[in-house]
Amino acid sequence: MSAPAPPGTSVSDIAVDARGLCKTFRQRQRSEKLSQVFANLFRPQIRLVEALREVDLQVHRGEIVAYAGPNGAGKSTTVKILSGILAPDAGQVRVLGLDPIADRVKYVGRIGVVFGQRTELWWDHPVAASFEWKRVVWEIPRPRYEHMLGQVRELLSLDEFFHSLTRELSLGQRMRADLGLALLHEPEILFLDEPTIGVDVLAKRHILEFILELNRTRQVTVMLTSHDMDELEQLAGRIVLIDRGRLAFDGDFDQLRRRFADRRRLRLQTRSGQAPPLRGAELLGSEGGWHEYRFDAGRTEIVALLEEARTHSPILDVETHRAPIDEVIADIYQQWRQ
Amino acid sequence: MAAERIKKLLCLWRVYAYLDFMLLTRDLRLFLNYFITDTLLNLAAVSGTFLLAERFAGLGMWSKPQVVFLLGYGMLVGGLINTFFSFNVLYISRRLGRGQLDHTLIQPQPLWLSLLTEGFMPLSGSAILLPAVGLLWWAGAELGLDPGAGWWALFAMQILASATIATAFSFLWGSLAFWAPRAAEEISSSALRIVYQLTPFPLDGSGPLLIGGLLSVLPIGFVAWYPCRFLLGLSPSPWDGALTPLAALFFALAAGLTFAKGKKHYERTGSSRYLSFGHRR
Repeated sequence: MSAPAPPGTSVSDIAVDARGLCKTFRQRQRSEKLSQVFANLFRPQIRLVEALREVDLQVHRGEIVAYAGPNGAGKSTTVKILSGILAPDAGQVRVLGLDPIADRVKYVGRIGVVFGQRTELWWDHPVAASFEWKRVVWEIPRPRYEHMLGQVRELLSLDEFFHSLTRELSLGQRMRADLGLALLHEPEILFLDEPTIGVDVLAKRHILEFILELNRTRQVTVMLTSHDMDELEQLAGRIVLIDRGRLAFDGDFDQLRRRFADRRRLRLQTRSGQAPPLRGAELLGSEGGWHEYRFDAGRTEIVALLEEARTHSPILDVETHRAPIDEVIADIYQQWRQ
Repeated sequence: MAAERIKKLLCLWRVYAYLDFMLLTRDLRLFLNYFITDTLLNLAAVSGTFLLAERFAGLGMWSKPQVVFLLGYGMLVGGLINTFFSFNVLYISRRLGRGQLDHTLIQPQPLWLSLLTEGFMPLSGSAILLPAVGLLWWAGAELGLDPGAGWWALFAMQILASATIATAFSFLWGSLAFWAPRAAEEISSSALRIVYQLTPFPLDGSGPLLIGGLLSVLPIGFVAWYPCRFLLGLSPSPWDGALTPLAALFFALAAGLTFAKGKKHYERTGSSRYLSFGHRR
């Protein structure tokens, strides 16, 4: 399922090489019935949840990969395995040529991890103190540290709150500080698990621009998860979709649109206020003489739709555009559930 | 290699000491409040035993100054543990139960090094150390102790062994949180509560079964009573001085093996819980 390597790709070009990853979790089941509560004491009911099933994933150096899927699809499990926190039940994983669990100490010195819902910052200390702490723990040489510190302070605009206590920062400020902290040791690969969750539009733009800049100037490999598909499309050239532990898609966003129906929107302004019925298109709404339709460009040609519309009423104006990626993904998730 | 490790250890202790200093000096009133309150609370915790010794001019075969020595020794052990293993390193079950080990696992250093350094709070911890030293000094003067270098070496060895046993005991029970994160989240604090509640009492006169239990299954006797007996010359055999360090070795090994086994389990299962508070000061 994984995307084929570009021609001329050597083994050393591959940053993440995961093959046949499997991970199963055990979930205890509880019943409300009293008889089963007692039975559970002696023979607990366990449900096996397959978080990852035979996942193959290769990420090339310098690539930005979006890793998406519905809740519980296995995204965070994958990131934890790639970060050396969790071991797979089966399969092999090498990142930067190292085994994340067996070579943990050496390995985590070369990667950066940001979990959007957690912070590595010291809560009751100024941001500056956390950065100094990181320098010592990661053994970053002073000149390199000063150089990177200057860069992240400038690019992420950390100066305005660099000496404020972490617990007094807004969520967006905290995320920027966490990102800066994750980059101080110049990681070769960055795992970002929902790095913009809960942050406002401006802070999000700041963070996205920074990630792009980092990838462009330093060729840092980035693998990020998010539920915000627009955000992923802005950042990543490649999207990997996972559903119930299986890789369901691996390619670019255009391929994704084409593969799961080439969804388009058609907006027509007609002389009559009534929306013309069009075969192969679904009317979404009408307002002020404008009628909006959804259709699959792979099945229905836009010319045919326009000709059919003209038979009902003269057309005054036309607009067409692709459906937002969020809508495409939502439809895909819906299909998977069914 | 070893020299590099020691250098890193000292560097880490220095940065955590700096963080502790910054935390306490953020507000002078807070600093004084914290320091005075902690000192008073720790003195209050041992006052019951002291009052009994005062009322009955000692406890059993222990004179009043000997009892005070025991209290000072126990407080010193507790103070050292608090100084080196604060912020839920000592109460390890909280970190494990709350899914916070992940933070430590993404640091590029051995886990033991992180655990040995992350809880270092030399300023905050000294609120217990100072009264402990005061009690030991007073008891030593009353008992007419004139210790030489050999006695001090033995004292240091016994203190280190006692602190190791209490810490290992917490880790031994705390490792259960690897398997039962929610149910065992507070098990380290429960285990240490038992240790601290029974530490300030001389155990002489108890039956052999109880003494045996308190020197094995619940190794509370080693945290103050047994080593103090040896240091104050109340032991029948000079070999008694070797038992506490040997027990420390045994419990450290048992705790290390249990923790390593638990960590393997954690690698396989991870944690389904995550609570953000408690591991960052």
